[in-house]
Amino acid sequence: MKEARTDMGNTIHARRKTLGMTIVAYGICLIMVFPIIWLVFSSFKGAGELFAYPLHLLPRHFTVSNYTKVFENGFFRYIGNSMYLAIVGTLITLVISSMCGYALAVYRFELSYTNKVFAVFLLGTLIPGETLTIPQVSVISFLGLYNNIWGVILPVVTTTTGIFLFRQHYMSIPLSFVEAARIDGSSEFRTFASVMLPLGTSPLITLAIFSFMWRWNDYILPLLVLSNQENYTIQIAIKNYIGFNGVDWSSILSASVISIIPVIVIFIVLQRYFMEGIAAAGVKE
Amino acid sequence: MKGSHTYRHVHEWAFWGFVAPSLVLFFLFFLIPLVLSVGFSFTDYDGWKRLNFVGLANYAEMFQDKNFYYALGRTFRYTLVNLPFKVFIPLLFAMLATSSYVKGKGLARTLIYIPVLLSALVVGITINWMFSAEYGLVNFLIQKMGGKPLQWALNSNLATFVISFASNWSSAGFYMIIFMGGITNINRDLLEAASIDGANSRQTFFHITLPLLAPTTFLVVLLSTINLLKEYALVQGVTQGGPGLRTTFIIQFIIDKGFKQMQYGYASAVSFIAMIIFGIIAFVQFKVSNEGGEN
Repeated sequence: MKEARTDMGNTIHARRKTLGMTIVAYGICLIMVFPIIWLVFSSFKGAGELFAYPLHLLPRHFTVSNYTKVFENGFFRYIGNSMYLAIVGTLITLVISSMCGYALAVYRFELSYTNKVFAVFLLGTLIPGETLTIPQVSVISFLGLYNNIWGVILPVVTTTTGIFLFRQHYMSIPLSFVEAARIDGSSEFRTFASVMLPLGTSPLITLAIFSFMWRWNDYILPLLVLSNQENYTIQIAIKNYIGFNGVDWSSILSASVISIIPVIVIFIVLQRYFMEGIAAAGVKE
Repeated sequence: MKGSHTYRHVHEWAFWGFVAPSLVLFFLFFLIPLVLSVGFSFTDYDGWKRLNFVGLANYAEMFQDKNFYYALGRTFRYTLVNLPFKVFIPLLFAMLATSSYVKGKGLARTLIYIPVLLSALVVGITINWMFSAEYGLVNFLIQKMGGKPLQWALNSNLATFVISFASNWSSAGFYMIIFMGGITNINRDLLEAASIDGANSRQTFFHITLPLLAPTTFLVVLLSTINLLKEYALVQGVTQGGPGLRTTFIIQFIIDKGFKQMQYGYASAVSFIAMIIFGIIAFVQFKVSNEGGEN
């Protein structure tokens, strides 16, 4: 009898604790998401409502004028440029990182210098690219890629993270797969492309998502390399709403909302790979 | 004998073929710039035509440049002040997101992660919008509660606060995921044993969870140190480095010197010092994680 009572006490205690902790957790979620909600609702307010007290969460007079304004200012073009940068850059990253990671894994016992080559790539993680922008821009200009979308694609497609991700993956696959393909007379490249590559879609998807997000959000190189307005990416177009005399809020709010839609959609659809990617390699550029 | 020799030969060719695209691009856009950066730092290069060897003049100038010391000191202070928040807030989130007492953890995790997806520039803009001096939400609430609106952009401490707030907001979800990995790796049996021995949840946290999380915590400390030291794009969405130079951190100092004032040589010298600082941090990381691996 006494035992039953403490049991019941425990359950009530556990239920209260569950309720309390869940409320705290969702309170935090609300705080984390609120700035974005505020941004989105604000972007549908007209100038008269944006710059007048009192403020309301929901727009009193719902309008899409902030959106039509940025699209009239060439935003379709900037979205197109960003899509091109993100998609082409990601495809190149996937091809060259999978090849490189594969070679570093498969020939590691056979060729003694494999790990030395890997060590060269690891140098890339020691020094942040931000400290190298000045000579990078010089190299880009020297190659004739200044003010050219390829000038912001080629310098960033090699990522040590990507190479690392594929190297880890191919090291976990038994070499006997490769041996078997070789005995069947498959060339080295065919062994990679038609035997080994199909075995690993997970690192491919993980890197594709992260690479797309990095390229879509790239800032410094596009800012320094793309001087012609028709080559601007969406981030640079947004940056240009910040002028010497202040911020063009009514344009920058809607432009910012547009810029976050693709990555949020991808995240919601392919969330699992995000979490796996961070857990596997601490993925961050 | 001859067969195995050609076999190896083919594999050598294949290896270099596979790594060539990555390696060539890495040489062009990382290793060559690395060498050029050091080279430029001994010249008066203006990014255009002038390029003369000036010896150590840039370094001599740098060590007398008040603005360089201010930018570096400001960057270190910003990093040190924010570091504890970068660690403890995500740790708290991760504890909640793995707690058996929280319902709907998947959704909570997703919501907390969403700010990580935004570009640093848009993070700055989003937070700046809430803190804008006129018609910003925060000032509106302050006035509603009877306070005076604050000049968030004009006061250097307030501006730094807004930048710090934005930075922590955008990275908390990322470090939370890293901590969650560490927490799920902790052996359940240890926690159960502690609870059977009568440890309360606070004791379990401080005497079991926290010590076992040390490697994860170290990783988060290192990643956030590096990311705080190189804060740049986010600041462009908030203050662009102002008022004056009061929120100009070292990367912006380099980029402004180089691309606004056309002092490529001088900016390269500052870059070189920044590289050494980042190199030391990376070296420490390598050392410590290797020692951890031996255990």
